[in-house]
Amino acid sequence: MTSAARGGSIGAALLFFGAMLSSPAGAQNKAAVERERIAFAEWLGSSPVSPWRALVVLPIGAGVTLGPRDADIPLPGIAPTRLTERDGRVFLRTSAGELGLSRGRVQTVEGWRLIVSGPQGRTAVTVYGAAPVRQHKKAIYYPYNPGSSHIVTLRPAAELRIQRLLGPDGVEVEATDAGTVEVSLGTTTTSLRVMRLPGATEDESELEIYFRDGTSGKTTYPAGRFVSLIPRADGGFLLDFNRARNPFCAYNTVYPCPAPWRGNSLSAPVRAGERYAVGGLTVPVP
Amino acid sequence: MTALRIPLILGGLFLVAASPPQSAMTGRWRAVLDIAGGQLPFELAVTAQSGGLVASICNGPKCADQAAVTVSGGRVLFDIADYAATITAERRGDSLIGVYQNVGRNGPRSIPFRARRGAWPRTGAPAAILGSWDAWYVTDQRRSPRVLHFTRGEEGLEGAITSNTGDLGMFWGGGTPDSFSVARFDGVSVYLLAGRLTGDTLRGVFHAGLRTQTPFVAVRTTGAPHLTAPTALTSADTSAPFRFSFPDLDGRLVSQTDSRLAGKVVLVDIFGSWCVTCHEATPDLLDLYRDYKARGFEILGLGYEVTGDSTKDNPQIRRFRDKFSIPWILLHAGASVVEETAASLPQLRGFTAYPTTLFLGRDGKIREVYAGFRGPATGAQHTRQIEDYRRIIEKLLVEKP
Repeated sequence: MTSAARGGSIGAALLFFGAMLSSPAGAQNKAAVERERIAFAEWLGSSPVSPWRALVVLPIGAGVTLGPRDADIPLPGIAPTRLTERDGRVFLRTSAGELGLSRGRVQTVEGWRLIVSGPQGRTAVTVYGAAPVRQHKKAIYYPYNPGSSHIVTLRPAAELRIQRLLGPDGVEVEATDAGTVEVSLGTTTTSLRVMRLPGATEDESELEIYFRDGTSGKTTYPAGRFVSLIPRADGGFLLDFNRARNPFCAYNTVYPCPAPWRGNSLSAPVRAGERYAVGGLTVPVP
Repeated sequence: MTALRIPLILGGLFLVAASPPQSAMTGRWRAVLDIAGGQLPFELAVTAQSGGLVASICNGPKCADQAAVTVSGGRVLFDIADYAATITAERRGDSLIGVYQNVGRNGPRSIPFRARRGAWPRTGAPAAILGSWDAWYVTDQRRSPRVLHFTRGEEGLEGAITSNTGDLGMFWGGGTPDSFSVARFDGVSVYLLAGRLTGDTLRGVFHAGLRTQTPFVAVRTTGAPHLTAPTALTSADTSAPFRFSFPDLDGRLVSQTDSRLAGKVVLVDIFGSWCVTCHEATPDLLDLYRDYKARGFEILGLGYEVTGDSTKDNPQIRRFRDKFSIPWILLHAGASVVEETAASLPQLRGFTAYPTTLFLGRDGKIREVYAGFRGPATGAQHTRQIEDYRRIIEKLLVEKP
């Protein structure tokens, strides 16, 4: 960590039950980062809807066909099937009838898994196969770098601004401008835009920064990397580049890649967090 | 964010035991989830049952959702199958250190977990905090109303947070004379509410999941409505009988013409096995069923589940049925996305909450719609809602078909 934790704060109110385990914050953070990386690797390898198993991501638009060789999405074993969107609802029509699909939920069709997602009128379908695609890429990382954790202050946005953008999984979401943080690397201080993206449940959200830096396109993913702000007990946030992660398009080229956020560019290299083997070749870590 | 300066009451409780001889897992364990900016306390009560070890997840006096416990060498797995979540931990003597996990949209959600044998000390319920508060959550220039309700329980401070669509279940914790912290972890909900009283105003932060923090500010309830009434959120087409057609857990289609429903007063429970509030509501529905069934009352459960795929969802609905020994008809109606649920029930307008409760007259027409559910933790709000339900059922039962 680059600055000392400030004392007494709202977080202290949460510590009713005491500071329960004393170990250096840095060591704890390193252990947590390593645990997160292991869990993510397991999920990539084993989840039926892991980015590794995605075969295609396609906007539904006026309708897409699945099944035969000449279909928009040829899928062996599936009879001619059509996906359409009407009044925000998505339907799967086969010769047997029509089935309404739910956004964000898995639908199994003859061993293939489908998820429809995205906002009304711009819905996309992702199709997953039973095994990882041949050209999937593993998540690889720089070694943990304690100097890449920064304590930052969020300067809230002056007004409510809602923007549609692509999340890490290439799905369009409604994000809210949460403000900016300043981060100092070497002698340069840069202001980074922070957006609030929907979280796993209705009550949850993530404060995300999508950034590029001096390593982008060299040893890290060219379009940029996402990093979440982690709230601290003192009202500040931990911006830990060890947790910088690639958008899903880095693991599998079927995903649309979020466009870099204007201005979120650090000229210095951030040699921490997730790396990327450019073009499928292994690039040595400097 | 407002800085609060509250002294630590207890410290150094978690010292890793030096000697590793492993006693039985059974007994009470005090645990925390290390969420960003705080620690969420709860307890695990491990008992030996015929099928092996089982842990109840406890928030103070309330223990409900259960986990199957597997011990393998020094590794302990708590499988919280109701919510497809796990806690895995390494055991060192009387300490457990590990991680809670479930799967979110973009991959696994991991939250550090620690536990030690024994119960948490109980602290007092600060008198100045007790009662009801009208609160506003504030996020990115947007405000959203909540009612906070605090009571003195047998084992400390109990709290409830009610939004327009119901409450999140009972929170438990304690406080100092002018501050409080209450938490809830039930296997899937990861919530912590902490705040401090300054003058007449309560300020603090609501924590959800690993790292969502929402500041709030609250004043004493004035009596003026702060939330939208549960009957004003969702409306219904009452001109024709309620129409539906969904498969039961054996795949047979059931519709409004089913003989088990004909001519009866029917409470339609639009629920999800993943929905904590639905778990909270079910014991009350069981009471209603017991009290009114003989007079021509029936309940129909429409389950909206996580995947929408019946091969995955039906086992979850069965678990839900077996947990409460539910005797009424349960159907798999679809996936738990609000807009999809709304589309599958075209006679409803403004569907927004799980559970939503419909009351059908003996003619099959929708007579009342309640969005959300105020659970037992909300005290008077809960009592009022159940009284409303009974009043509606009594009224409909005496009507002629």
